[in-house]
Amino acid sequence: MRPLDPRLLRYAHAARRFLLIGALLGFAQTLVVIAFAWLLTRTITLTAAGESLSTIMSTLAALACVVVVRSVLIWLLEVAANRGAAQVKSQLRARVMAKLAERGPDWVASQQSARLSTVVTTGLDALDNYFARYLPQLLLTMIATPILIAVILWQDLASGLTVIIVIPLIPVFMILIGKVTQSVQQEQWKALQRLSTGFLDVVGGLGTLKIYGRERRQFDRIRSITEEYRTRTMKVLRVSFLSGFVLELAASLSVALIAVSIGLRLIDGALLLGVGLFVLLLAPEAFLPLRQVGAQFHAAADGLAAAEELFTILDDDSVATVPAVSTADAAAGAGLAFPYAGQLGQAAGALRLEGVTVRRGDSVVIDQLHAEFAPGELSVLRGVSGVGKSTLVAALLGFVPCTGALTLGGVAVAAGATRPWLAWSGQRPGLFRGTVAENVALGAASAEPGRIVQALDWAGAAEVLPSTVLGVNGDGLSGGQAQRVAAARAIYRALATECHVLILDEPSSALDSDAEARLLAGLRHLADQGRIVIVVSHRPAVVAAADRVIELQELIHV
Amino acid sequence: MSDVTTAARDVLRLAQPRPRWFAPGLLAGIGSAVMAVALLACSAWLITRAAEMPSLALLGMAIVGVRAFAIFRSVLRYLERMTSHDAAFRQLAELRLGIFRRIVPVAPAGLASTGRGDLLTRLVRDVDDLQDLPLRVVQPLLVAGVTAALSVIGIWLIVPMAGLTLLVCLMLAGVLGTVLSGSLSARADRELAPLRGALADEVLEVVENLDVLTAFDALSPRLVQLARTDERLRRATLRRSVGVGVQSAVVALFAGAATLGALFFGIPALESGGGLLSPDLLVPTLVVAVLVPMAVFEVFGMIPLAAAAWRQVRVSARRVAEVVPQAVPAEIPVDVVKPQELFSPDQAFGPVVLELTDLDARWPGQVDTAVAGVTLRLAPGDRVHLAGPSGAGKTTLAQTLVRFLDYTGSYRLNGVEARLLAQSEVRRVVGLCEQRPWLFDDSIRQNLLFARDTATDAELEAVLARVGLAVWAAQRGGLDARVGERGALVSGGQAQRIALARALLADFPVLIVDEPTANVDSAGADALVRDILTAAADAHRAVLLISHTPVPDELVTARVTLPGLR
Repeated sequence: MRPLDPRLLRYAHAARRFLLIGALLGFAQTLVVIAFAWLLTRTITLTAAGESLSTIMSTLAALACVVVVRSVLIWLLEVAANRGAAQVKSQLRARVMAKLAERGPDWVASQQSARLSTVVTTGLDALDNYFARYLPQLLLTMIATPILIAVILWQDLASGLTVIIVIPLIPVFMILIGKVTQSVQQEQWKALQRLSTGFLDVVGGLGTLKIYGRERRQFDRIRSITEEYRTRTMKVLRVSFLSGFVLELAASLSVALIAVSIGLRLIDGALLLGVGLFVLLLAPEAFLPLRQVGAQFHAAADGLAAAEELFTILDDDSVATVPAVSTADAAAGAGLAFPYAGQLGQAAGALRLEGVTVRRGDSVVIDQLHAEFAPGELSVLRGVSGVGKSTLVAALLGFVPCTGALTLGGVAVAAGATRPWLAWSGQRPGLFRGTVAENVALGAASAEPGRIVQALDWAGAAEVLPSTVLGVNGDGLSGGQAQRVAAARAIYRALATECHVLILDEPSSALDSDAEARLLAGLRHLADQGRIVIVVSHRPAVVAAADRVIELQELIHV
Repeated sequence: MSDVTTAARDVLRLAQPRPRWFAPGLLAGIGSAVMAVALLACSAWLITRAAEMPSLALLGMAIVGVRAFAIFRSVLRYLERMTSHDAAFRQLAELRLGIFRRIVPVAPAGLASTGRGDLLTRLVRDVDDLQDLPLRVVQPLLVAGVTAALSVIGIWLIVPMAGLTLLVCLMLAGVLGTVLSGSLSARADRELAPLRGALADEVLEVVENLDVLTAFDALSPRLVQLARTDERLRRATLRRSVGVGVQSAVVALFAGAATLGALFFGIPALESGGGLLSPDLLVPTLVVAVLVPMAVFEVFGMIPLAAAAWRQVRVSARRVAEVVPQAVPAEIPVDVVKPQELFSPDQAFGPVVLELTDLDARWPGQVDTAVAGVTLRLAPGDRVHLAGPSGAGKTTLAQTLVRFLDYTGSYRLNGVEARLLAQSEVRRVVGLCEQRPWLFDDSIRQNLLFARDTATDAELEAVLARVGLAVWAAQRGGLDARVGERGALVSGGQAQRIALARALLADFPVLIVDEPTANVDSAGADALVRDILTAAADAHRAVLLISHTPVPDELVTARVTLPGLR
């Protein structure tokens, strides 16, 4: 583990500012520590010299001032560290979310969503300790320790040399033990992540487990998961704490050595009490930041391991982020240049796919597909499970890179930042917390109540009230209702932005035949307005209502 | 420890390791802290006494003491950390089990109100936070408390007024520091956990629905909204940071005051005489009284941190207590004290007849019944298609039949009222294939085996073939292929088939299949329906197929339609 990952400074500007403020406060703190030790020593030597309380009152007053200043500085440093942590977390979180947006849905779908969101939330919180406890001490180590050693050297060469000999041993041990810890630590972080999904898996699947009378057996599973967690963590801690032990031992032993050496020289009269006491008070302070760094080592490592995970996401540029359709004018953002955007009246013409090929990794999912979808028609796309219907839809959306020509009315509709010609609903309803109205009008400039009602009506969901409040993931609707609300959302977009193409992926799989018939009637209205309506479905009723059925053939993989 | 509900207190009790595990760490901690104070006291005495140039022999004990304290302090500290962490982790298992034990009776119907992202945060975060109770709250409080008390007594014996000053400073630092920062940060603290939950929910929503947000040009506003939630969390965190900082500052202030007090009262005592231990107070002893407060306050610095940790732990405990309902809601069934048996455990299942008369059921927290007035009879060999519009309560009925929900009216199995049977007994004979089957993040084999753990690989492959997954499973690499988190690596139809395979393996005498075709293409759906109903015909089994899609006449023996309630 590097004590300070330069990527942290690169990705989070707040970290830089904190380092600057922290360095200034650390310097001031060091001066105060020296002043306190000096004034305290002076008070004691004056007392030992037989001075009365009244004569040393001014020294005591100065000591009181130093005490006040010290506490103010301590407060400021803590506030700065906490602020720094909060700001850095926000900045990193924003960056990762932006990166996810840039990488696109297809990449995100290949990751575990729970894992991703754990990294962005819980994982990042591990940085709290790094900032609040570790980094300030690291700064103090770099600022206070050298200054204090210099002062000790100046006062008493022998003590100074003791400190100088012992202090470098500490980083050496830190590095040695750190190397051992590192691999174990990373392993622990992975285990922790697995455990985070493991325990949730048991709780989330509890209904299923109960059906099979397995709920009682999970006690053993939870016990073994947690026991594994304990042994793994203790394995790491045994080493991490060992480093702490070495640090503390080095620090307290050298203080003991200094005390004994000073004591012996005082007996000989080779040293003054003032110097001895001053050095004795300063010596622990020289070790303190370093000891703190050691003590917070594993807490900090947790935070850095989490940050590492984020940096991996942020640094990863391996896959093309913007899928490109290889047509002549397929510049990024070509979607914006679509000339007929928002002008359904001027029918743009057919949606044409010429030689469209989609690859997933090494395998070809769709090979040289030619198809045409005409305005005013309801087309059904079908094919057996796994033939790549959803992949084709993803390619049309620009989520998956494809080659070949994709034109609407002769204009290339390439994947860009927006797709004003297209409204879509996927297999998963993908609804959000909020009202049904908010869900239906998602992404629209304005939510028009009349149009929302119409969209719900045409989706066959007239009975769903727009004011219904949904929980996370659209909780509160039945499966069929959620599906129709998702279709209504696409219909609303089609109506509101006058877009030319409406694609619905399995919109009626959870619907009864009545609801399905109402949806199909609604789709007919939309087609009659001059739209290209494409439905991916197997349902006989949908196929019967279609003007055109396009069969996707399975590729034979050898 | 006021302001904690009984439920939260129960949760906290689960987090505190038993004394047998906890005591070794505590003793080592106190030992280490006392040694740290003794090291400074002994060193200071050694130096000041040496300055008076006595004979070396008089300092021998002090020299040995300084070295011993230095070594034992570090050794004991290491032991403390190892044993206390080990105890806390051991307790984590008890904690998780304790919480799980409470969830079991109410799941799944009694837990529906919790958002998934929130649930994730709660279980990962709050349970981890609860571990801080022994480590960051109880242990430091006891260690610092005992060490401070011992030191106060020691100083009091040297210079009584200095001891009293130290006591007053410690108490003021403890009380004032805690109260001051408490009032500043208590609100922010309570804000933090829900805000973290809200943020986690929003992050999960964005991550899971990135496709929808992108397609609807709604990603940017959503990210702005997320940034706003992030901002709220950040502000709350910043408010708290001011509180934490104040605490440390107050402690530092009183640490200085204690040192000043020791000087102020100690210097005149050189003339007038000290406490019981040192009636003729000498400078070396005075220096001990002056420097010990510094070491004590270093140990005492743990207390404000412990107070802050306590507030955090308290919020977590409260939230955990909220997830887990203390009392089982009236809508969730509870076993009667002496349940009857349908079949003795060693007896093979005979035929089972299921009868419903005028059955009503309701979800927890809902006023309206979700399903009402159902009358139905299922006998072995029956294959009944239950239809009805969305929202008519088909899924509610399925959940009621496996006793996830309680009912009014009558539900009898072989003439015995289901209420009088153990829930596990009902679920032994009545199986359910859920509409959204849960697949565990494991292999296909493990996802099947828990339905019947004695099944051989050949049997598993046979049942996969029956649900039409033989080829697919072989392509995936056989039974060892993983299904991904929540079945992420399999399609909806495949998940449904795996779930069905599970149900077939378990061989329930009565099988309820809730919307199996919801995510299956229609060509496959017919085959699936045929598989289900064929399996029933040859196994003296009754099947209730809940489906909104039409089922061919020749496959079913009867049809029932639930009227819509609204």
